[in-house]
Amino acid sequence: MFTRTDDKITTSQAAVFLTNTVLGAGILTMPRSITQEMRTPDSWLTILVGGFIVMLTILLMVKLSQQFPGQTVFQYAGRIAGRLPSLLLCLLLVVYFILVAGFEIRSLAEVTLFFLLEGTPIWAVIIPFIWAGTYLVLGGINSIARVFQIVFPITILVLLVSFGFSLRLFDFNNLRPVLGSGVLPVLHGLKSSVLVYTGSEVVMTLVAFMQHPQQAVKAMIGGIAIPFALYFLTIVFVIGGLSIDSVINSTWPTIDLIRSFEITGFFVERLEFPLMVIWLMQMFCNFCSFFFQASLGISQLFKFSVTPVIYGMVPVIFLAAMVPNSIQDVFALGDAIGSMGLALFLMLPVLLSFIWILRKKGLKQHV
Amino acid sequence: MYRYRQLKMLFLYLLLPFVLTGCWSSKEIEDLGMYTGMAIDIGQPAPVEKEFEMKGAEYSKHNKVMTTIQIVPMKTVRTKDKSNTGTNKPYLNVSGSGDSILEIFRQFSVRLDQPIIGHHLKVIVISSKLLRKQTIEQVTDFVLRDNDIRPSTKVYISQGEAKETLESSERNEVPSFHIAGMYRNQMRTSKVLDSVTLSKLDALMKTKKSFVLQNLVSGGGEIEFSGAGIIKGSSGHWIGNLNQEDAECLAWMTNNGKAGTIKAYDWDNQPLAYEIKSMKSKITPFVNEGKISFKVNLAVEGRLIETWNKNNIPSTNYYAEKTSQIVEEKLTQMIQRLMKKLQSTYKVDVAGFGQRLAIVYPSVWKQVKEDWDETFSRSEVNFTYDIKLTDFGSFTEKE
Repeated sequence: MFTRTDDKITTSQAAVFLTNTVLGAGILTMPRSITQEMRTPDSWLTILVGGFIVMLTILLMVKLSQQFPGQTVFQYAGRIAGRLPSLLLCLLLVVYFILVAGFEIRSLAEVTLFFLLEGTPIWAVIIPFIWAGTYLVLGGINSIARVFQIVFPITILVLLVSFGFSLRLFDFNNLRPVLGSGVLPVLHGLKSSVLVYTGSEVVMTLVAFMQHPQQAVKAMIGGIAIPFALYFLTIVFVIGGLSIDSVINSTWPTIDLIRSFEITGFFVERLEFPLMVIWLMQMFCNFCSFFFQASLGISQLFKFSVTPVIYGMVPVIFLAAMVPNSIQDVFALGDAIGSMGLALFLMLPVLLSFIWILRKKGLKQHV
Repeated sequence: MYRYRQLKMLFLYLLLPFVLTGCWSSKEIEDLGMYTGMAIDIGQPAPVEKEFEMKGAEYSKHNKVMTTIQIVPMKTVRTKDKSNTGTNKPYLNVSGSGDSILEIFRQFSVRLDQPIIGHHLKVIVISSKLLRKQTIEQVTDFVLRDNDIRPSTKVYISQGEAKETLESSERNEVPSFHIAGMYRNQMRTSKVLDSVTLSKLDALMKTKKSFVLQNLVSGGGEIEFSGAGIIKGSSGHWIGNLNQEDAECLAWMTNNGKAGTIKAYDWDNQPLAYEIKSMKSKITPFVNEGKISFKVNLAVEGRLIETWNKNNIPSTNYYAEKTSQIVEEKLTQMIQRLMKKLQSTYKVDVAGFGQRLAIVYPSVWKQVKEDWDETFSRSEVNFTYDIKLTDFGSFTEKE
């Protein structure tokens, strides 16, 4: 087993790591969640504005993390804010990571059961994924990053090919009028558009694992730029293809877009199956990333060895995945996670940076 | 140590069969009844059902709709002598009636030997008579919610009984595939409208806008696309049909069709056919002191492809101009007839005027969208035509 502190990842691995942490089940439901808030076709604008806000926050997180080379947020938060308050904050972060891991694996199971494996018991889908995830996470960040590097180009290619074929449904008029109801709906949708970037908190641990932490800004901005671009494409293609009236009530709008056409004569007539099967890998990566972050958090906060923590995490994540009773509960949990993420996402880095600047510049303390 | 390792390996080998079981909930495709077509008609017990019910085989229901599904491929028992193939069709149509489409489907399960499955549904035909009684939202709710039926399924309306369109006199042909394939002719004539898929239908119903569905007419074991049936957005009911020429004009006006011919009669009252090469339409809305009006420009390019006139038409600019004028007159007539139907007979906007207004004047649209069909029927629409005759086919004749 690797010694975790020596386990480093390259700059491009760090970028892909962030991409795969952000990109998950959200892409399948995001057009609906944003459109429901906005009720205008301007959601692509919201995604752009939300993306820039997220990028600024990420920049802040990177700058903060760079002050403590080789340390994750779980380690340096204590040095900034004191042991007890930071412990509470970090525990909140860990709980959040566990919830997201459970949520991701549950969404994965829900979409698989609805479209692919009707009749299979839900645990039969969830448990193998958690096991496989455990195996991967035990290998440490380097193994995870390598798996991400392999999966990433495949999933993106399949997604882009599917979107490309959906052009036959694309009607530019579905995206018009631009700003027909003014700027207000755009601001209204901003919350749900920031939500789709949940997972960016991992920046605060990721920088510590970088072989060249001085390139962290480049890596992290690059890493978030990919989901940023993909979300933008998704919203344009889904709304352009289906129009907001259809998207607004569709449970899985992105899959519905792909289900709305058949390509006769192509080697697969229906692209939703390849897309879903391949996207499962993406959701798996996403899940593993949160699994890893949560285990890392517990082990660093309480100075436990990481292996037993990972094994101990398995039933917890399983429970987190099984808590929602129905798909409505899953989406409600998703919303709750989103709001929690928003709080953590803005609170943690902003609060920590503020205290750090205050102590360093104001009180001239050595932190 | 060695023994321990052997045991471990043995244990792993024992686990292997579990990975070999394959898909958990797999079903053999041969054992499934795939239906590729579905017809929804006005509710009356299907003939077989009547007999079942007479014998007391019944369940509680109101006969509001009759659903017919077309199952393919139908298992045909191969007869020994090849000469007598009889009337074996490659499909089987089953009908049932009731007031829930899913319940009717489950009722098929007590009649058939294969569970039916909707993954390969291609077309849904709804009878226009049914849509007078039930709204389109009611009869399509199930197919939109179902996870097997794809949103790519095409929806049509039928003038007569919908289930008749799923029958064919052609022996080796599956009617639902035939209907699904007919859209390919769109490159030849704009009488074939853009197919409305379930996902499009979903969006159209949600907006409460009026729209058209291609109309199917069956006769003599064949079917024809004949114009379009109008669904009134506010009620969800069928209110009338547009004929083939109206449908064609509608496709041209909405920029959804750029093919077809315009046949007119020339100066000697002889038929003259103009083949459209390109057709561009531009609808411009105007709002003047609260009064909404539209200007539509149709830019057409095409060639003279057929004339029955004994005196050949010389290939000169003069005659090109003259022919264009005749074509323009004819087109004007066709468009005016359509507009009269839309604005006075049916009072519906199915040509996307509302959408144009929403794009250009979003704030005005918000005020009028509730009652748009009414507002539209009072709005002024002006047409300008820009007709070009590019050539006279492969003939060039001197004056």
